[in-house]
Amino acid sequence: MVRQGKISWLTHDLTHRGVTAWLLTAILVGFYLLLYFTERLTAVAHWIRLDSKWTLYGLLYTFAIVIGGIHVIRKYRHNRYQVVRTSVVMFVQVVFAFAIPHILKFLHQPEYYFSYLWPLKFEYFVPGNIFKMPLPYILYSFLGSLIMVPLLGIFFGKRWYCSWVCGCGGLANTAGDPLRHLTSKSSAAWKFEKVAVHTVLGLCIALTALLFITWGVGDRHPALSRFTYQFQSLYGFIVVVMLTGIIGAALYPLGGTRIWCRNFCPMAALLGLVQKFGRFRITVKENMCISCGLCSKYCEMGIDVRSYAQSNTNFTRASCVGCGLCAAVCPRGVLRLENVTRRDPQEIALVQISEIQPVARVAI
Amino acid sequence: MHFVIIGNGVAGTTAALTLRQREPKAGITMISGESDYFFSRTALMYAYMDRMSLHDLEPFERKVFPKQNIRLVRDWVTDLDASSRTLRLKSGHSLAYDRLLLAVGSLANLPAWPGLDKAREGVVHFVTLQDLEKCERLTNSTREAVVVGGGLIGVELVECLVFHGKKVTFLVRSPWYWPAALAREESEIVTEHIRRHGVDVRGGEEVSEVLVGDSSRVRGIRTKSGAEFPCQMLGISIGVGPAVEWLRQVTTPPHMQRGIIISPSFATSLENVWAAGDCAEFERDGKPTVEQIWYTAKRQGELAARAMLGDGINYKPPIFYNSAMFFEIEYTTAGMAIDVPAGAESFFCRIPGKEASIRVIAHHGAVMGFNMLGARWNHTFFERWIAERRTMDYVLEHLAEAQFDVEFGRLDLAAVAPSYREWKQQEAQAAAAR
Repeated sequence: MVRQGKISWLTHDLTHRGVTAWLLTAILVGFYLLLYFTERLTAVAHWIRLDSKWTLYGLLYTFAIVIGGIHVIRKYRHNRYQVVRTSVVMFVQVVFAFAIPHILKFLHQPEYYFSYLWPLKFEYFVPGNIFKMPLPYILYSFLGSLIMVPLLGIFFGKRWYCSWVCGCGGLANTAGDPLRHLTSKSSAAWKFEKVAVHTVLGLCIALTALLFITWGVGDRHPALSRFTYQFQSLYGFIVVVMLTGIIGAALYPLGGTRIWCRNFCPMAALLGLVQKFGRFRITVKENMCISCGLCSKYCEMGIDVRSYAQSNTNFTRASCVGCGLCAAVCPRGVLRLENVTRRDPQEIALVQISEIQPVARVAI
Repeated sequence: MHFVIIGNGVAGTTAALTLRQREPKAGITMISGESDYFFSRTALMYAYMDRMSLHDLEPFERKVFPKQNIRLVRDWVTDLDASSRTLRLKSGHSLAYDRLLLAVGSLANLPAWPGLDKAREGVVHFVTLQDLEKCERLTNSTREAVVVGGGLIGVELVECLVFHGKKVTFLVRSPWYWPAALAREESEIVTEHIRRHGVDVRGGEEVSEVLVGDSSRVRGIRTKSGAEFPCQMLGISIGVGPAVEWLRQVTTPPHMQRGIIISPSFATSLENVWAAGDCAEFERDGKPTVEQIWYTAKRQGELAARAMLGDGINYKPPIFYNSAMFFEIEYTTAGMAIDVPAGAESFFCRIPGKEASIRVIAHHGAVMGFNMLGARWNHTFFERWIAERRTMDYVLEHLAEAQFDVEFGRLDLAAVAPSYREWKQQEAQAAAAR
């Protein structure tokens, strides 16, 4: 039941697809259209003495994460995982996604974002782009994407990136927090997600391969160059402009916070596959779930966490970004995020339990 | 074969799904007068606090029931005739069964306070969907609320009313909050926490009269100490009891005391009729017991279904455990932590600087109960240590294994070991003095 009062009405309306939520969506879509397709914001940027509209956008984005982050830290102050994670996300945004690139630019270095990697940051694998940079950046691009990303994914799951580092996830988990429950939990949404996210990953890998081939064969095949160029422009328009910006961020008030991450992000798809073979999992405390459904309701990836919790099933879902909100909102402390290692004394003890005392499992 | 289940709560629904797993062809009908679909009763408070919609409270997608071919009937059962294996429904229809499960749950207990019968408006409980609707209807015309009864439902209702900005008085008859589950030390931590949310918690207060104002709406209550508390909403949560009154009037009532008496295989005194969940009365340690707990109902629902299918079920209540949340304080208990036998030793440690504590109880050298506040614990470890009759020394040495807190948030147990040594010395001195 909604609390009485105008402010409560507004908060509810904004967070439950009411009139104001549609209005906010329209404003956000308008903003992104202005940003991507016009130069109006350039004037605004110059007016407040910023060099470009992209710097202005970066500044606004960082503000959203910092202010939202402060709200989230207050809201989940009883949960250390949320406090630590949110602090890191805010730090990464301010330092790696805003300050350092601008400092680099000031030092006449490439404007490099260390917190974004291929396949999310597609440009860092475009040969014509990356090979112009000094060697350390080239090394970071390749070693980061090909070694650091999967390796950390094996040890900590997808969350090290999607919930601790990435700016897209950062915005979702800070400013987007009041809207996280809007993610669709329907099985149709789940089916769409599986197809869509892996399709984008496939396209991304295909395009990258094509770019390297085109770069390798040089100017000998102008038709190939043209095709690659068109493919790249199309990918840039659909994936980067439409899906990351307009669909991904502007539709928060209607479709929840992780539309991009869940359905389209190639990095999330790749890390999801790694996660399935890694150590991360969500452990379910046996027979303690009261099926209240808060975990499912507040899962921004649309995972029906309750179905696992109420059937006593530990699980690792490829889409899970490890934000830990399911565990945070659980009123009976049923869920715990873990990087399972064999030496964990709790793990060993649990194995012993199931050997000694086969508890009547209520599995439905 | 036609299985009929009265009640679509956690016991009934678990039973229905278990029956379906084993009997792909049998007819299964589940009857409820309360709701169209199974919902999580323990989550009613989240609907009241705008954190979830009623639909969100349903643990299964609605299409599960047609898919599993479980027929849902929204009606109240008015008569049970075991000789002809027939139910009569309020709508006038009758329904034949081959095997029947009574999973009718429980209802709020009603006190006999003077004036309560005159209050036509403003008195609420917090157990059923209808209770929630009534609470919601009264909320916006309420400034002050009184909640009577020191249990879990009471504190949940208090939390909801605080969310809605009401001035709440929480009256507890016993000297401290929830003596059935918490010792005085734990209760003090909880009470202080509830008070910090702006609730006026009064221990040792008993209602002597319900005051009724214009248009028969509650306007306050008077207590035995003579104090008056104005309120436009009076929440009564003095416990729940099996919802079996209607069964006393049917053609063939099953044998009942407080609840429907069941054998260790969930059979009632009637042929082809079983019972499970809140409404079932069984024996725990030789004592007749009704247990109105989600976990018990879920387990019993599954086992009763298996008994109905002919499995040899010999239900022995497992080691008791439960969990709860008082505003932000989490609570886990296992074994016997209250009403312990004479001679039991109880080690209690308040974690300094935290709203957290641990209590371990042992008898004849073996641990028998745990009461933990303010942190997350895996109760399966407690159950195992109790079953293995571990010593207090062993348990305190291994306590960290049972911790289930979030990453980076593990409760610091550094203060426990010194506190335990000190406690042991005191116990030894006390023993020497005797």
